[in-house]
Formats: sequence, C-alpha cells, structure tokens
Amino acid sequence: MKNLYFALLASSASLVAAMPAQAEVKLEVMHHWVAESEAAALNVVREALAAKGYGWQDSAVGGQSGGNMQQALRSRLASGNPPGSMQFIGWEGIDWSAEGVMRDLNALDEANGWEAAIAPQVLPFVKNGDDLIAAPINMHRQNWVWANKAAFDKAGIDPPGTWAELIEDGAKLREAGVIPLAMGDEPWQIQVIFDALVADIGGPEFYNKALVELDPEALSSDTMKQVFDTLRQVRGLVDDGFTGRDWAVASGMVINGQAGMQIMGDWAKGEFLAKGLKPGTDFLCFATPSETPSFQWLIDSFGMFKVTDPEVTKAQDALAEVVMDPKVQHDFNLIKGSIPARTDLPVDDFDDCAKKGFEDRAVAIKNGAMLGASTHGFASQPQFATVFGDVVAQFFVNDMASEDAVQMLVSGIDNAR
Amino acid sequence: MTRKKSFSDRLADWLPRLVMAPSLLVILVGVYLFIAWTGWISLSSSRMVPQYDFVGLEQYYRLWATPRWHTAVANLFIFSALFLTVTIGVGLVMAILLDQNIRAEGALRAVYLYPMALSFIVTGTAWKWILNPDLGIQKVVNDLGWEGFVFNWITRPDFAIYTIVIAAVWQSSGFAMAIFLAGLRGIDNSVIKAAQIEGATLPRIYASIIVPMLRPAFLSVIVLLGYIAIKTFDLVLAMTNGGPGNATEMPSTFMFSATFRRNQMGVGAASAMMMLMTVAAIIIPYLYSELKESRNDH
Repeated sequence: MKNLYFALLASSASLVAAMPAQAEVKLEVMHHWVAESEAAALNVVREALAAKGYGWQDSAVGGQSGGNMQQALRSRLASGNPPGSMQFIGWEGIDWSAEGVMRDLNALDEANGWEAAIAPQVLPFVKNGDDLIAAPINMHRQNWVWANKAAFDKAGIDPPGTWAELIEDGAKLREAGVIPLAMGDEPWQIQVIFDALVADIGGPEFYNKALVELDPEALSSDTMKQVFDTLRQVRGLVDDGFTGRDWAVASGMVINGQAGMQIMGDWAKGEFLAKGLKPGTDFLCFATPSETPSFQWLIDSFGMFKVTDPEVTKAQDALAEVVMDPKVQHDFNLIKGSIPARTDLPVDDFDDCAKKGFEDRAVAIKNGAMLGASTHGFASQPQFATVFGDVVAQFFVNDMASEDAVQMLVSGIDNAR
Repeated sequence: MTRKKSFSDRLADWLPRLVMAPSLLVILVGVYLFIAWTGWISLSSSRMVPQYDFVGLEQYYRLWATPRWHTAVANLFIFSALFLTVTIGVGLVMAILLDQNIRAEGALRAVYLYPMALSFIVTGTAWKWILNPDLGIQKVVNDLGWEGFVFNWITRPDFAIYTIVIAAVWQSSGFAMAIFLAGLRGIDNSVIKAAQIEGATLPRIYASIIVPMLRPAFLSVIVLLGYIAIKTFDLVLAMTNGGPGNATEMPSTFMFSATFRRNQMGVGAASAMMMLMTVAAIIIPYLYSELKESRNDH
C-alpha cells in the first residue's frame, strides 16, 4: 500500500517537472464557429493575437444555433469560472452585461477612437449605456439572393426587380427543369425570407414598427397579411425534400445547378467561393427585390468577461485590439464572406458581391434602411424573435391562412412579454 | 456480560452506512435538490439567469398559453401511446417466436438486440435519410418503376410524428423482446406441460397462461419505455429537429429551447416540472403496486 502511494506521488511529481516552467498566457475564447470557412477566418485573429504574445485556447461549442454554447456558458458562470472572451450575436452581449459579468473596454475605446469607426446602427449591440462592452469584427448582410448563372440563362431570366417577378421567374426555372428555390425547413431559414419580405413589402418603417417595436397594430395589419400571402407563394418554389435540410446543403444545390436560387445571408458565399465559383460568371448575388432596398445586417462581436487574473485581463485587451485592427478585420472578412464592422476600410480587393454589399450599405445608411436582422436577434430580444420563427415555420409547412398566422403572431408576442 | 466492542467490530457495524452515505448524499443533492431548485425557478421570473423571486404560477400560465407547448404535449401522447403499444406488441411476438426452440437463436437474438446498441442520434440520422422522399424509400420505389408511389410523411406536419414512432419502435423492439424472453424463460415448464396434457392448443396456452404470467415483465417494459418516451430528445433532433415547422416538438425539445435559446428559463423550468409530474403519474402507481405486492408476499 505504501509503495503504491509513493509511486503515485513520484509519478505526479515527474509530471509537474515535465511541464514547461512558465507557459504563455492563453486566453480562452468561446464561440460557435465550427464550419470550415469560419475556422479559417478565425485563424487570422488567432495569429494576430499570437504576434502580441498571447495564446488562444479554443472553446468552440457548436450546435443548436448557439443553444449548446449558452448551456455551457451558464454552467461556467455559475461555477465562477467564466471564459476570457466570447463571441456574441444579437442581444447576448447586452443581456450578459446587464447581469454584471462583462468588463468594459472604455479605456481602449478612448485611446483608439473605435466608436467613431463603428457604424452607428451597430452601437446599441456593443454599448451598454456609456460602456463599450464588445468589439465587433464583421458585418453580414442577411437579405441576399444567390443564384446559379447557368440556370438563369437556361430559363432566360434576369435578377428580378420585385417579389412578384421572382415568383414568376420561379415558374420559368421549374419549366427549365430546375428547382426554383433551395432551402431547409429550419425556422430560422424561413425567417430569413420572412424578414426580407417584411422590409421589401412594408418598407423599412414598417419593419421597425413590426419587428423592433412589436407594435400589435403593425403585426395584425393588412401589410403583414400580404407578407404571409407572399410567403405562401414562395413555399410553392421549394421542392418536397426540404425537411431537415441544412442551409449549406441548400447552397450546394444552387452550386451544382440542381436549384436556381437560395435566399440566405452572405455566409453562403463562402460555399460558392470554396468550390472555385466566380461571382458574376458562375453565380449571381443580388439583394432581395424591393422598391425600397434595405440592408439587413448582423454582426459578430467579442465580449470580455470579468476575471480575477490580471494577466488574463491583459490578454483580453490584446484580443480587443486585434479584433479592431484594420488589417485583421480586412483579412478576416475576406475569408468569412462578410464585410468589416469598421466603416473606414477600403474594400478594393474584396469580391464583387462584397463590394456591392458595401455600396448598398452606404445607400441604406443614407435612406434609413439599415435594419437589424430579426432572425439573428438584432431586432428584438430572443423571447420575441423566436415567436416569429415559430409562426413562420408552422405557416410554411401547413396550409394555415394568413389571417390565422397574423393572429398567432399577436398572441405569441403578447404571451412572451 | 457485555464486552467492549473493538474498533474493527464498530467499523464493521458502521461500514454499510459509510459506504451508502456518499451515494445517498449525491442522490439527495444531484437529483432531489435540483428537482426542488427547478420547482423554485418555475415559480420565479427567471429569464436569462436564475432569479430567486416569486411570481406565483405566472410561468405556468405562460407555458399553457404557448401553442408550441400544446403541440409538444399532444405529440408526447401520440408518440408514447403508439411507441408503447407497438413496441410491446412487436417485442412480445418476437420473444414468443424466439422461444420456440429454434435453431441459431443466439444469433437471431443478437440481430434483434443490435439496434439498441446504436444511439438515438445514429438511428435518427439514418431514418432521416431513409424517409426523405428525394433520397429514401419513395425514391427507391419510384426508380423501380412505380412512379406514383408516395411516402413523404416526414415532410408532412400532420404525419411527421408517426415517422418518429417508426424509428423509435425499430430501435427499442429488440430491447422489449429481451425482457419478454427473460420472462418467458423464467416460467415453469411444468405449468405448460400440464396445460398440454389438458389438451390446450399452443396459442391458447400463450394467451391464457403465459402472457398473464409475464405481468412483471410487462410492467418493467412499460416503465422503461414510458420513461424513454418522455425524455425523447436526441431522436427528434436528429430526425426532424422539431420540424416540419414545429410539428414534431416534444416537451424535452421545448424545455431546451425555452431555457437556452429563448431566454425563458422560468417557462423552461415550468415545462420540466410538467414532465416530472407526467413521469410521477406513471412511476408512482407502479411503485405502489409493486410495494403492495411485496407486502402480500410476506
């Protein structure tokens, strides 16, 4: 017995001795970027952080649209052991900041003038009161249509100017033997189309009234019914095998010409580029059709939790500096398919779709058509945003009337208050 | 004359209690404390993180005013009823057939039991492809020449829950069979011999004598399968992810999404308490009947 005890003691001592004297400070970063292009883009950040002398401890939790990550995070916070940093989407950062677990980045902000470089629409999601609580790295646009050029040529159609045209084009694509619209049945995939329809049919003001202010009158208006009527027509463009289909699989259908279009945020572009396709010649990108084009955006940002170790705090500062670094934002977004969160960067070497996104953003900022994507939590808090997901998902798969859908929206929002 | 107990004697007296204490403590804390905690949260205004205030039954009202919860409850009843009856039926028939002293019984038993070795995630993913009309059964039959054949349940909101039943039955029938087979092997052969001498036919022997004698096996199967039915989570996630729409939502998927994706921790806790009550409604009568039985035995 004694011998065993000593043997254990000796072996554990030798383990300690085998470890390096003082490892570099590693910053744990929790995120849910697990796809290939996402991981590649993250590498840019990681390397820049390493250049500042800090390590990166990867803590990726995929699945359940971030639900799994939320679960992991809560248990970490409950045990008083938060990760150094975390990727935020939507209200997450503000909500956690309100719980008092985030530190502010005000000193860095003042020293570097970050706030002036961030688009003003984004600020409500990275600022809690006067405190800057997260560093935004990118801006995605959600209301894009990705189309197969060859399929469009075969059907003899051009990018449509209105939703009515888009639906007619769908019929032509079908005649040409192509599935008009590729998508899955996940609530958020349908919600992406719903968000676009609300802004395209109702206009930016209606979008704000309905999806941001959650005004019951707007929610039950005729305009909203028209949105659902159009969504019903869009349903007719989708094939029967859409149940349980991943968005990337739907992108693949457009890439190989099986389907004509996909309505999806610009993360889908990564799939097209990864297959070596060129915008303009192999695939088309255009905004969802409307008289009042909007720019529906979402951002990813990095927030820093309050920690006791001063070395980790320094590492957090370094990460925030890296994230806001113009070159990092440039290189990161080139891979991720989005555009920089900073508005003061040149985009000359981005692809044509990104350039178009940049132009559209400038126009939208002028026209008051910068809209936070409701689907990804940039319009209302999750308990409300998911009500839209519930209703549109149900509406899309059965033959519910538009009146009933509108009624469900009103009562669902009311119930979540 | 009482002798002073030696240390080792006292240790021997205390040992069972010492050995039991940690596991008892773990169960008290890890199970019952957390049940109580969940109950408390369900009465609080918790949204993103636990709040320790008291708002009465508000979260329960909210829960029952949510259409998705009604879908989840209805699905639970449809799923549990079909899953239990079909699995028990199939399992019992397989067990009786295997019990006929056939050749290669061991091999067949392994084949039947094998699905149980797979996780529900694997089963669900496989069945998702098998049932997809563009890839699976429908396409195979169409390609064989029967163009009009349609089997698209998984894409239809009103039928999708039945596809989950199919996969769950496929997964669990072998398990039910194993329990029934064990029950059958435990039955005294002389009873059957006596019945045969009386001139009873084999189906008659099974219906009137053997199946009634399997009562404990039935109870075990019902309790175990009922519990699987209520906690079904991974199978739904893998097969339909709650869709189409939210037609295959189950209480467990509802609970996860309310708590971790919708910032409605209170509602999530309330739904968990409803599930607990459902389990209790099954387990308590079972325990009661078991305990009563053992009292009668003595």
